[in-house]
Amino acid sequence: MVLIVAEHADGQLRKSALEAVTAGTRLAGELGVEPVALIMGRDVSSLAQELAGYVKDVRVVEHDALGDVRAQTWTAVVSAVAQELGALAVVFSAGRVGLSVAPRVAVRLDAPLLEDVTELQVEGEQVVATRLSYLSRVTERVKARRLPVVVSVTLNVMPLPETGVSGSVQPMSVDIPEADQVVSVGERSLPEGGRVQLEEAKAVVAGGRGVGGPDGFSNYVEPLANALGAAVASTRAVVDAGWREYEEQVGQTGKSVSPDLYIALGISGAVQHLSGMNRSKVVVAINKDGDAPIFKAADYGVVSDLGQVVPEIVKILKK
Amino acid sequence: MKIVAILKQVPDAESRLRASASGVDLDGVTWVMDGMDEYGVEEALRLREGGLDAEVVAVALGPDRYEEALRTALAMGADRAIHIESDEDLDPISQAKVLARVVEDEGAQLVFTGGKQADWDSSALGPAIAEFLGWPHSDWSTQLELAGQQVRVRHDAEVGTEVLQFPLPGVITTQQGLNEPRYPTLPNIMKAKRKELKRLPLGEVEQVEARTEIVSQTLEERERRGRILEGEPAQVAQQLVQLLRDEAGVLAK
Amino acid sequence: MIDFTLTEEQRQIQSLSRQFARDVIAPQAARFDRDESYPEEIVARAAGLGLLNVGIPQAVGGLGLGMLDEVIMGEELAWGCMGIYSVLMASELGITPVLLAGSEEQQERFLGPLVGKPSLAAFALSEPDNGSDAAAMKTRARIDGDEVVITGTKMWITNGGLADFTVVFANLEPEKRHKGVVAVVVEKDTPGLSYQKITGKLGQRAAHTAELIFDEVRVPVSNILGEPGDGFRIAMRTLDRTRIPVAAGAVGVAGRALHESTKYSAERQAFGQPIGNFQAIQFKLANMKIGLETARWQTWYAAWLVDSGKPHTEASAIAKAYASEVAFDAANEAVHVFGGYGYVDEYPVAKLMRDVKLNQIYEGTNEIQRVVIARGLQKA
Repeated sequence: MVLIVAEHADGQLRKSALEAVTAGTRLAGELGVEPVALIMGRDVSSLAQELAGYVKDVRVVEHDALGDVRAQTWTAVVSAVAQELGALAVVFSAGRVGLSVAPRVAVRLDAPLLEDVTELQVEGEQVVATRLSYLSRVTERVKARRLPVVVSVTLNVMPLPETGVSGSVQPMSVDIPEADQVVSVGERSLPEGGRVQLEEAKAVVAGGRGVGGPDGFSNYVEPLANALGAAVASTRAVVDAGWREYEEQVGQTGKSVSPDLYIALGISGAVQHLSGMNRSKVVVAINKDGDAPIFKAADYGVVSDLGQVVPEIVKILKK
Repeated sequence: MKIVAILKQVPDAESRLRASASGVDLDGVTWVMDGMDEYGVEEALRLREGGLDAEVVAVALGPDRYEEALRTALAMGADRAIHIESDEDLDPISQAKVLARVVEDEGAQLVFTGGKQADWDSSALGPAIAEFLGWPHSDWSTQLELAGQQVRVRHDAEVGTEVLQFPLPGVITTQQGLNEPRYPTLPNIMKAKRKELKRLPLGEVEQVEARTEIVSQTLEERERRGRILEGEPAQVAQQLVQLLRDEAGVLAK
Repeated sequence: MIDFTLTEEQRQIQSLSRQFARDVIAPQAARFDRDESYPEEIVARAAGLGLLNVGIPQAVGGLGLGMLDEVIMGEELAWGCMGIYSVLMASELGITPVLLAGSEEQQERFLGPLVGKPSLAAFALSEPDNGSDAAAMKTRARIDGDEVVITGTKMWITNGGLADFTVVFANLEPEKRHKGVVAVVVEKDTPGLSYQKITGKLGQRAAHTAELIFDEVRVPVSNILGEPGDGFRIAMRTLDRTRIPVAAGAVGVAGRALHESTKYSAERQAFGQPIGNFQAIQFKLANMKIGLETARWQTWYAAWLVDSGKPHTEASAIAKAYASEVAFDAANEAVHVFGGYGYVDEYPVAKLMRDVKLNQIYEGTNEIQRVVIARGLQKA
């Protein structure tokens, strides 16, 4: 079987969980085995039911130690379930949690790791993945030398699965060793006012130094993002200048995003930034410097002052 | 206490990569210490400078050229360095196995690695080292406090940030914002010459076999439409929205 | 044996200097150029990193770096800004006579206090009415008891007035022409010493250049370097060395010109393609590369001769003249590649051309370098 790890937050399945379902179901098909979805937490039985609308076999692990998402407790549960069910592959989504937990599970299962992959195939008996390396400048195909294999799937790449399956939900119980419970989660700080989560967002509007200052974000970036229902992002230069917070930064030392639409406002397009956004499906660049490298990475470019074009776009979108 | 800072040497982001018959040609690129690893070295040095009785050991696993990154760490102020020499293309999990062995042999209690390595574009190294050692880890860390044996660290969560607390030993992976790495100074570069840099062949440290194999590498060339829209702002805006909706299909009709 | 391999330390020096030039110097260079102001904070940071006064010997607490080390560093720093590099370079120039001719006691007294601080030295040879013709100098010195008294005016002195000490060349016995010249260390704030900042320079506007006025300036005779009458020889031996960093700076500018041109020609479109596709542009880039590489090797060679204790007068003259010409040509071509944008200060290449013009002039014009080279040929 292929074990799919389904993430959830705030009482809802994450979109990335469903993307992992798609990836895991396809992989199971190619390997000729069944997909099994795993959901874990403190009180997740209703989410397990919802998940059973997408996958025939859902396992649920509830445990007091699973109230917070912690890499080691998750590792303990996933590894135990994978071993018990004899998983040939364990599939995560490559968000912050997946990137943190998948390597540990690979170690615990003595398995190869295929990390942050955009495609998966089975060739012969082996799983081969496509992923980016060298700051997203190189596409590589990587083969896992043996099974089982642990995989994490790039966000926003896999389509959402069809619902309508009526799967079964089976509880499982797992012992979480004390040694895996040493981390405690303290205070959390969330981005202001219900903004769209960056890495899962379908659309992202990003501002660079060319927006002119913090006001450029409130005058152009945010109104456009609101009109599109998009997440707001920024470049390192902007974060270094103290205009925006770190968690919005896209690029080598920030987040990697792959939305359907990425709109770059006043961004020059340094390699470090491109490495975080060049998996976006459609890229729009608006910059008054027509020589900015961002235009080479863009599908649609507008060489113009933001102050003139962006309000016009917002006006049209609001209609 | 011993602190290990793990380093990688990677192509400078500005370097142009070239395609070759066998994949990507890295000859002629400028190699630098991975920027994410600099945060780790800096944080270790700050802990020591803040009064912690600590020895900072820089460790790298890789080919000969990695020695330069280790020298840089020594010039920044690390006390000594260990170079595990290997020309093999090891995947991050296999690398972690070797590095975890070194950490264990050294008896270190705190390990820093970069949040994401700029060669494999992987963030697995830190978590995997922690798992091999049976230690906790915090990844994408932006703030670290050490009170006795207790670590309090702020890191990027799936949404926003959160604080993790755990007792040492542990692994911290870094992220921009943790600190502002120093430059090595010229006097320290000269002094670094006299610091210990131990070289160990991979085989003497750990037996590993790569778990994955790179089948092919090509330069990423995503076809972009590269269409420049021109005209009055209102017209351009209209045209853009239309193209996004009808041609690109990324806006609801 | 020929070996072009840099030592591990040299590679580190190169990478530190490169990082400092790219992260700190280059982003601010345009501002200091525009305002014609002294980059005090950058010099302080450079000093903090140990990039200033690197020639001070270890015996008095310095790093005692060799000429090749200095040249490797100089090329990188000048890539960021030739004018800012000139501040550091001119300080090494001020130190050099003390290294070459100063006693241990003098080295301790004058160089020791500079270590680890953003303190500068300066070298005062040129005068309003004579530059390369050093033997014609009008600044006079006389001995009065245990003091030397100096009167006269020195011109185009980089760091002049800011430096903790200035090595001044004055004539003690004018009838002996250059054999009457004495080299004297004059410390900052000595009564009778004043300066006037020179403004309106074409380039290297971040470097502080001054006219120094000596009005009966009195310093102890223990500030005389070598013997009275040695001054001219000390000045020439100094310049024989310090022309090499001038060459290194030029190599840095040539490298920058090539870097900017390569980048721009890949981005700028004309007739539906990047201008770099046109052979007219490719040849310019190739010529810059030819100049850059050959100038660098000659500069390294001259530096290697210095470090190996071999005669280097001719090699340093060749390096200085050749590198500064190659760099000026490269900057000139870069302006051309940039077209209209090359002619305005919003883009970095106009400044390269303005800055590097001075490398053809100071520390002995390129004509003087050719005189030096030709003299060597005729002697042989």
